[in-house]
Amino acid sequence: MNVRIEPLDVKAAPQSAVSIVNVSYRFAGSHRAILKGVDLTLAKGEFVILTGPSGAGKTTLMTLVGALRAMQEGEITVLGAKLSGLDAERQLRLRRKIGFIFQDHNLFDALTAFETLWLTTALDEKKPPRQEALVRAEALLGELGLREHLHDKPGKLSTGQKQRVAIARALINEPPLILADEPTASLDKVSSDSVIALIKRRVKLGASALMVTHDARIFAAADRVVHMVDGKIDRVE
Amino acid sequence: MKLLNSAEWGLGLRFLGHNPLRLAAALSGVAVAVVIMFVELGLLLGVLNSQAMVASRLDADLVVMNRARVDLHKWTNVDGIRLNQIAAEPDVAQVIPIYQGTMGFRNPPDLSIRRIVIFAFPANEVPFDIGNPEKISNVLRIPGSVLFDRLSRPIYGEIRRGQDVELDGTLFRMAGFVSLGPDVVNDGAVVMSEGDWLSRHPNDQPIMGAVRLRPGTDVHEARARILAALPDDVIVMTPDEVRSREFAFTLKAAPIGILFGIGMLAGLVIGAITCYQILFNEIVDRFAEYATLRAMGFSSRFFRRVILEQAAFLSLGGFLAGAALTWIAYLYLAYATSLAVGFDVFSSVFVLMLTVGMTVMAGLFALRPVAEADPASLY
Repeated sequence: MNVRIEPLDVKAAPQSAVSIVNVSYRFAGSHRAILKGVDLTLAKGEFVILTGPSGAGKTTLMTLVGALRAMQEGEITVLGAKLSGLDAERQLRLRRKIGFIFQDHNLFDALTAFETLWLTTALDEKKPPRQEALVRAEALLGELGLREHLHDKPGKLSTGQKQRVAIARALINEPPLILADEPTASLDKVSSDSVIALIKRRVKLGASALMVTHDARIFAAADRVVHMVDGKIDRVE
Repeated sequence: MKLLNSAEWGLGLRFLGHNPLRLAAALSGVAVAVVIMFVELGLLLGVLNSQAMVASRLDADLVVMNRARVDLHKWTNVDGIRLNQIAAEPDVAQVIPIYQGTMGFRNPPDLSIRRIVIFAFPANEVPFDIGNPEKISNVLRIPGSVLFDRLSRPIYGEIRRGQDVELDGTLFRMAGFVSLGPDVVNDGAVVMSEGDWLSRHPNDQPIMGAVRLRPGTDVHEARARILAALPDDVIVMTPDEVRSREFAFTLKAAPIGILFGIGMLAGLVIGAITCYQILFNEIVDRFAEYATLRAMGFSSRFFRRVILEQAAFLSLGGFLAGAALTWIAYLYLAYATSLAVGFDVFSSVFVLMLTVGMTVMAGLFALRPVAEADPASLY
């Protein structure tokens, strides 16, 4: 069964999904700044890839955008919310609107693919009933080539399949912002292409995506590729 | 808007159930704690109930005793004249004198002599709820006929109805049985008539008087009038008050409350540590998964619910398993000690509450790593 995904309400939200202004960051106890005055904007409906050598500050920037770290200097605005001074409860609410894709799948081994997705729908303000969650999960897993694994637990899935379930988990609530860290690292080319195609489809419908990757094969799929070196944006392609 | 997605329910159970060995270990740990708590509490209540057994068996509205008799095992007599004075009160229907003493009971099979408690009262009025009063009276009306407490410890040997037994060198006919029960010190009892008792102890005074009031009389008002009419060398209490006083005295006079309390605490600590360890391992093993949910926006309330669900399951499952084991332990204890050890609503609810509290506290402590988790570490 296919589900039609409604475009996001672009009028209600600001034109930029993420606005990063002069952001610097250093880890506690370290004199070296991992981010040095970074400025970057992610427009609504834009797909941006962050790339660069290890230690360039890509992941730190991603965690700041995801409201997973406290701001130090500068300002980041995510989906209209300024992160400086955002209290824990509002951070939590903001994170529910973000689709997080981590390097590791981190799936609960006791839950099937559907149960994982159904649980995630608890973060959707509408809290859809089981039947609706099932329809959404079938459609999404179908797009990722996992429809027949709907009721399988992680123990029955390959590493790549688990990663795709984790990607489905990030997208099940149709988040307006997707933050992905090396989502294709454990995938073969076919699976990788299907994941990128899925993210692109979401972007076309109005979502924004910020992805950290070293996988040059997928650079072409992005609207912009931002190269970071030593805590700064080196160049944008 | 719905507050909860039904997918959120049952997660704790599924996570626990996914590792049957760990689940079995957790349930066993809680069950052991439950058994320890039940046994300690059961023994404590068994001792208390046994010490107050006489008060529990009294079939009377009020009890009159010498004021100096501060506990039921201090056998200070009450002046018989006081019982006659009380009997003259208009509210009082009847005052039954109860005598208590000990005699040497010669065991027929091996002829050894063992001390046994004697309860004596008028043959026509049975002041205790220890069997069919009519049958008891019929036996006691026959001089030289006595009744044996079937709940006595087995040290007296097998006693048969119609058997002749020797008490302080005199033969009595064991004409039947009553159900009273031993306490910590006394192993058994024989019931005889006031006439038989006084014929051997002619100057003895009752140890208490069981007062029965006329129907419709308010017990407390009647007691006030009785006390007003008597000198203050006696006390008048309801059987429940005597029982409560005996509980308090036993707990105060002997350190059993502390001893059994420490035993229960040990059970509680064992259970809490086991539970904490199991739940902590459960969380640590799934730390990345929990941290992922936290990063995604699941609130602390969600994690508390998961862990509390697990704690509730462990406490209920462990309680049921522990109660089943305790049932066997109680059978043995009751057999071995002849004390009133057994389940009752109070101890069951009390142990269940302690078990739930123990697992919930352990769960909440075990949850601290998730609460302190840095979701940024996932990237």
